[in-house]
Amino acid sequence: MSFRHNRSRLAGASVAAGVVAAALALTACGAPGSQSANNGAAANPTAVSTQAPTSPVKLTLYDGQGLKNIDDALIAAFTKKYPTVTITATYDPDNVTTQNQPRQLASATPPDLIRVISVASGVKNNLLTNLDAYATAYGWDKLPPSQLSQFRASNGVAGSGSLYAKPSGFTMTGLYYNKDLATGIGMTTPPASIDELTALMAKAKAAGLTAMDVHNKEGGAIFPFQLLLNSSLGPTKVAAWVFNAASATIDTPEAVKAAQQVADWNAAGYFPAGVNGLDATAADALFASNKAVFFPWGNWDAANLDKTMAGKVGFMPMPPATAGGQLAAMSDAATSFGIPSKSSNKNAAALFLNFLSSDEARQIALDNGFMPSGTGAQAAPTVKPGSVLTDVVAAFGKVSAADGQVPFVQNATAGIANQAWNPESQLLLGGKESAQQFVTNVQAKYKDELGR
Amino acid sequence: MSTVDGMTAPAGAVSDAAPVRRRPRRRTGAAGGPSLRRRAAWAGWLFALPALVMYAVFELYPIGTAVQYSLYNWDGIGVATPAGLRNYVKVFTEPQLLASIIHSFILIAFFSFLPVILALIVASIVREIRSQFAGGVARTLMFLPQIIPGAASAIAWTWMYSPHGVVNQLLSGLGLGSWQKTWLGDFTWALPSVGIIGTWLATGLCTLLLLAGIGKIDTSIYEAAMIDGASRIQQFFAITLPGLRREIGVCITITIISALASFDVVFMSTQGGPGYSTMVPGVQVYQLAFTENRVGLSSALAIVLSALVLLIILPIQRFFRER
Repeated sequence: MSFRHNRSRLAGASVAAGVVAAALALTACGAPGSQSANNGAAANPTAVSTQAPTSPVKLTLYDGQGLKNIDDALIAAFTKKYPTVTITATYDPDNVTTQNQPRQLASATPPDLIRVISVASGVKNNLLTNLDAYATAYGWDKLPPSQLSQFRASNGVAGSGSLYAKPSGFTMTGLYYNKDLATGIGMTTPPASIDELTALMAKAKAAGLTAMDVHNKEGGAIFPFQLLLNSSLGPTKVAAWVFNAASATIDTPEAVKAAQQVADWNAAGYFPAGVNGLDATAADALFASNKAVFFPWGNWDAANLDKTMAGKVGFMPMPPATAGGQLAAMSDAATSFGIPSKSSNKNAAALFLNFLSSDEARQIALDNGFMPSGTGAQAAPTVKPGSVLTDVVAAFGKVSAADGQVPFVQNATAGIANQAWNPESQLLLGGKESAQQFVTNVQAKYKDELGR
Repeated sequence: MSTVDGMTAPAGAVSDAAPVRRRPRRRTGAAGGPSLRRRAAWAGWLFALPALVMYAVFELYPIGTAVQYSLYNWDGIGVATPAGLRNYVKVFTEPQLLASIIHSFILIAFFSFLPVILALIVASIVREIRSQFAGGVARTLMFLPQIIPGAASAIAWTWMYSPHGVVNQLLSGLGLGSWQKTWLGDFTWALPSVGIIGTWLATGLCTLLLLAGIGKIDTSIYEAAMIDGASRIQQFFAITLPGLRREIGVCITITIISALASFDVVFMSTQGGPGYSTMVPGVQVYQLAFTENRVGLSSALAIVLSALVLLIILPIQRFFRER
């Protein structure tokens, strides 16, 4: 009996092994991805046209769901101005855009206008169109350099070189503050330095308030950390690190000091209890409950705060490290649109990119809570009276003037937010590691992912 | 006892088997000998063909490609470069990847052992419920968590675990205010908290399986035991537990796989945090492949995870097989 049993099992096992071997043989033809290799010609057009198409052109656009309102408004205004063009938009849920965008970009029939998440990786595989010819033809070079440098790349490194995308507007980060509570703890003018901010937070704590509404379940503590770092290390060095410049490092005394400051603030009880378990929604609720003074966050929350705390909220840039020092903020594109090299409607798509810095588009960006892209010579779009966005726009103006627009450190590599910044910042605030370890571990992960 | 399945063993091999097996063969042999039997064998394969094709296309082929990918460094888009076994070396030397495997073993206690114990208790109690209606209600209630997707229940539990959530409110209501904490943000308690979500999810399934098993046990055995004066506890250990051997085996197998391969609950509740304290291989595989675009390393970890599951499940299967 046992013999027969083994026999049939043996036969079954050999069949299974055979099938697996066959499956392996089926798949074992060449390195993965070898069929999709792209040539560079389509990616570097030289003969371009700025004429609006005379016959109908159908464009497709891909973006995240959170940008649907602004994109739909931009598309409506654009197609009204250029009736020969129609644009069909596809939106993915925001939490999967990062995962899906590279696949959209690499597909055989990519959208004509696509959200560009990593300029460097799109350029590496020849998937994005070099926009230099369009930039010259349309005169995009007149835009302030800091508005486009994030979307340039040369030799696989972002930050300078040829242009590959153009933004629909900008985000802006800094400190929201509860006006009444701030007045209550004696803040008459925005703090001029980090020391002044710390002193104000001590007063808030003494008054039984949450001094700084930080939420770190999803890495929100990186906001105060980078806001400190932008000023102390300087926008250029922070940006170079984000853009993966050769030998860039974040393992610097300034970064350690910034991390130590954040850890000290938490240890002093300025952050909410259980900060590592708090998400953005909970932080919003805490701020709306009038129990928190400062809230390091960004423009995307302005519309929400106008609704929940109308007229009660102000916004300021993070104070510089020392009074009169470098003013800076994380500020990247709402969406930076690029044109996949496989698109067959590049001229019409570039017409849309050009439209993004038009007066109409600037007003649409601001109406949707984003800082407009454009030159200082253009008419300033109008803000709804009484909105905290007035403060945000003013802060953006100050930071832009100081050349302080910095990309988010979470975007340095594809995995750095999930695999380093979020967990390491939780360890830092949890008292499980020192500021030096925090910075060292993030840098190690950065080098590991970049294969350095 | 044994039957001829006509599929696994070739016709010629049967002759040296036990005599029991010869009888059916002779019956078919009368009509045309081995050729007909062979045809019957092929007919069997033919019936299985649609399922086999699906299996090959959607299971074996992806497994084959995963093995292939694991031997390359690939961003999922460009041309891959051969990596040899370096991805596997990394899986076994990267402390965070190893730690995530250990976490999934801790989760077995919550995803597997606790639910089976709870289900045994519940099933023995529900068996005693005389009322058809009450029994039905009890069964339905117990099974409900199984219907809700793991991701959705993880979100619901995240709310319950939040600083002002139900769990903390209950604790303060019971006068245990000092026990309140941000459960999913606490380095010590996050993993057990995630585990409890798994317990809640798996208990219903186990209860249902065990109830079905109890139903198959001859009630006269219980009656005989009662007449002999056996207590409920004695009945449980002498009749129920041995009678449920196979069902318990199934429960343990399914739940251990779900613990080792856990993804949805962890991903939706903690994403592996705080720090790396709840990171599990399933989430790592996802993040490596789809966030970091390191398809090779991700595939290697997935292959190691699959091998690990097999390594653990096979002895368990053997242990619970009916003797």
